[in-house]
Amino acid sequence: MNDEALGHAWATLEPTGHRRRRIDARVFESLDARDTPLAAEWLELFRVAPLPAFGLAVASAVSVVAAPPLVWFARALI
Amino acid sequence: MIAAPPAPLFATLSSRLGGDAEPLAEDAISELVEQARGGDAGARRRLYTQHVDRVFRTVRGMLRSDADAEDVTQDALLTVLTSLHRYAPRADARFAAWVMAIAVNTVRRRFRRRRPELTATGELPETADEAVDPAIELDRARQRRALLIALGELPERERAIVSLRYGAELNASEIAAIVGLEPATIRKILERARTRLGARLEALLSPDGGMA
Repeated sequence: MNDEALGHAWATLEPTGHRRRRIDARVFESLDARDTPLAAEWLELFRVAPLPAFGLAVASAVSVVAAPPLVWFARALI
Repeated sequence: MIAAPPAPLFATLSSRLGGDAEPLAEDAISELVEQARGGDAGARRRLYTQHVDRVFRTVRGMLRSDADAEDVTQDALLTVLTSLHRYAPRADARFAAWVMAIAVNTVRRRFRRRRPELTATGELPETADEAVDPAIELDRARQRRALLIALGELPERERAIVSLRYGAELNASEIAAIVGLEPATIRKILERARTRLGARLEALLSPDGGMA
């Protein structure tokens, strides 16, 4: 068996169309997630689910404001 | 002795099963890398399409299942596409060699704790592609199984080297840089592995080889 025949034999190891589409989807979903700015993610969340997004935004804001004094208090106790 | 499996059949199967990216010259690849570094999403996608099947068939030759090969292919290509700024073109190695070095490192990192065991018997393709003739699909499955059995009988290092040669289509110097051996040693290993693989494949695919 020569080099060319072995090269062609390796082609049988290629992914099926179904598997290939799954790999494509996962890789590009991850890339899109990396490329999308945080602000755009939030805007999209408000568009898709306004109420839960509002609740999440309020909870995030409260935790940002409340965290420093809580950490300070915890350190003082220790 | 029987004749080697017909090359055009493998080529047809390959193109029918998703090997649809016409390979580009190294200059065109370098241009795509530059464009992708500049944020061109289309260039990034074309780079991906150029390499995804090649990475999969290379790591599939080293690993024990399609699922493992799928995970490694995903991780490796994600690393490639998000690390393009670290790629430094070299006169003695193509971009594909850099991609394969990342793929091999991904295999090593992923299977550092458990030794990858290659099996050929535990899997069937999950679903046949709609457009493929069942007879062609059956023949492909038979060839594939024979190749995986023959590969499974090679030592791990030889398996990686022949996969880089025939799956990734790298030359001896490029393989040597990835596995840390001299090109002359790679050529010797390839010669030995080619003889062994060829003989084993012919035996497995012969009428009394149990796979006809």
